[in-house]
Amino acid sequence: MNRHLPHTTALALLGALACNPAPGPTGDDGTPSVALLTSGPVSDAGWHAGAYEGLQLIGNLLGFRISHQQTRTPAEFDEAFISYAEAGYGLIFGHGFEYQDAASRAAKQYPDVTFVISSGSRPSANVVPLIFHLNEATYLAGMAAAAVSQSGVLGMVGGVEIPSAKGTFVAFEAGVRAVNPDATVLETFIGNWDDVSAAKEAAAAQLRQGADVLIHNVDAASFGFFQAVREVREGGREAWAFGMNRNQNDVAPDVIVGSAVIDIPAMFLRTARAWEAGTLSDEVLYSGIAAGAVDFVPNPAQDGVIPDDVLAAIDRARDEIVAGALVVPRIEFVEGL
Amino acid sequence: MSRGFSITARLRPELVATITATVAVIATLAVAATLLALGGHSPGDAFAALARGAFGTWDRFVSFTLVRATPLLLTGLAVALAFRARVWNIGAEGQLHAGALAGVAVALLLPGAGAVLALPITLLAAAAAGALWASVPAAMKTEMGVGEVITTLLMNFVALFLAQFLVQGPLRESRGVFNQTDEIPAAAHLPALLPDTRLHLGFLFGVVIAVTLWLFLTRTPGGFRIRAAGASVRAAEVSGRFSVTPVIWLSFLASGAIAGLAGWIQIAGVTHRMYEGLSPGWGYTAIAVALLARLHPLAVVVTAIVFGALSAGGGAMQREAGVPEVWVRGIEALVILAVLTADRIVQGMAASRD
Repeated sequence: MNRHLPHTTALALLGALACNPAPGPTGDDGTPSVALLTSGPVSDAGWHAGAYEGLQLIGNLLGFRISHQQTRTPAEFDEAFISYAEAGYGLIFGHGFEYQDAASRAAKQYPDVTFVISSGSRPSANVVPLIFHLNEATYLAGMAAAAVSQSGVLGMVGGVEIPSAKGTFVAFEAGVRAVNPDATVLETFIGNWDDVSAAKEAAAAQLRQGADVLIHNVDAASFGFFQAVREVREGGREAWAFGMNRNQNDVAPDVIVGSAVIDIPAMFLRTARAWEAGTLSDEVLYSGIAAGAVDFVPNPAQDGVIPDDVLAAIDRARDEIVAGALVVPRIEFVEGL
Repeated sequence: MSRGFSITARLRPELVATITATVAVIATLAVAATLLALGGHSPGDAFAALARGAFGTWDRFVSFTLVRATPLLLTGLAVALAFRARVWNIGAEGQLHAGALAGVAVALLLPGAGAVLALPITLLAAAAAGALWASVPAAMKTEMGVGEVITTLLMNFVALFLAQFLVQGPLRESRGVFNQTDEIPAAAHLPALLPDTRLHLGFLFGVVIAVTLWLFLTRTPGGFRIRAAGASVRAAEVSGRFSVTPVIWLSFLASGAIAGLAGWIQIAGVTHRMYEGLSPGWGYTAIAVALLARLHPLAVVVTAIVFGALSAGGGAMQREAGVPEVWVRGIEALVILAVLTADRIVQGMAASRD
């Protein structure tokens, strides 16, 4: 009998707290409320951090109420969508393809709520996939990488092998071959986004195979990736890295030549504005270089590493992409295409 | 320990224990509150959000807390049963994945199984796969004397990698885009336990298994053997009344089967697909759930709900009080520590009376 006492005590304490009324997220003034779900930490200096920055921009510039939750399992996705929808949040960002199913389920239950799913694959009346054509930027990065590489061997370290990540590598490889058709390009997926030591090992393995320029597409694990390149350089060998998703040039300025950047904050802000104005369509939101959403940004701290003629070629390729004359390879994953 | 004492003799120490336990809980919560305040978060808001998220409304309690408690309840029971027989099954996580994979595979590959039979067949497949996964360490222990702490733990990694491989390969969705299986047919969905809630039949299964295990352990010769082996393997063997090997096998297989059910029930009841990151480590949390319940099957129901409430409340803490996930997990750990401390105090009091 008495062995249950502590649990009863804890339950009673929590029960007493539960009686406090919740602060209304929409408030009496009808301020729009925007929520963000991420499946990783917003301290990753990359994919998730960009989304969180976007949420904060929406809060600061538009004056919306904002809230964020980091979720771990699909069961939690449902719970978070339902909680936010019931609490009066009108616009909910699910930052990753993994939120698609849960968003589709919640969207039927809450038709007045708009769900924006980054890399989503199934648009419906109130589910809007937001797709970043980061491949356009990695193509330009590939051109730079091929010019920087002495060995002609380049490496790519990815997280989980999903189409959006795979697409950035397909384009990187195409960019490399545009400059050096004979280059060898290695590819490794570590199976997750934030295992720092796995990313470091994968990068080190590619460096051992002769690669001297690497690009990644992981999240928090990128710290290990950059460390591997740094250690090779400390060992006296020339090696360079490229940043991804966010402008990571200042994350490891000593080893990064440039970053393939998505301006996630700006896209989030634009999406929130369109939602407020009622002009957010029920179609897929595509955003590439032409929309100003992605770009390749050379690291100013490593000025001169990329030869001037290659920089000029990159500028020409960028113009061609904007003009539609150059179509960068990508992997489509929206249903119905 | 305290069995056989009269009510009057127990009254006063119990009161003391309750007060001490409450003080321990409050003291630990005070530490958590201080940490929250240092991190710039309002402790009051945070704890209120935690409580609201877990118990705020009937629907919150049923649709969030009990749904989150379900896999913990089943894996907690699996661990409690094994530990009762001194079988240190650290492998509930792997057995859970084996069960989930088997259930999904059968649900997807046997389309003609018939609506009525889809659920029983998949549940059986999941239990069998969990038991099969547990049979490897069971054989290694009984045949070769290899300690099961290591083998069950290592089997977890094998299961996780197998799941990763299957979801990326043979069981990958037919569209071939994402690392997930196709959605299971509707016939294999676990129906709702209460209408208009997310709570599925799996929770009821958990409670039924808990009662069954309790009756089995206390009312049957097999249960007595498990308890006897758990009390002292040597004594049980020396007494010559029964051999311990079948008891070990029974505990391993039953434990694995229940953990296997946990994995498939989560898919059939909630996600309807298998993903790579199905479990956030339920099979490991289950050890805390079982230990806190002092391996008593009925108490596991209570402790699983406590853990479910904490994790559901943790989500609300992020949403409503803006506390980052890492802090939430730290606070959750402190609350568990508080309850464990209080539990120890109560037990200590009871023991000192003996």
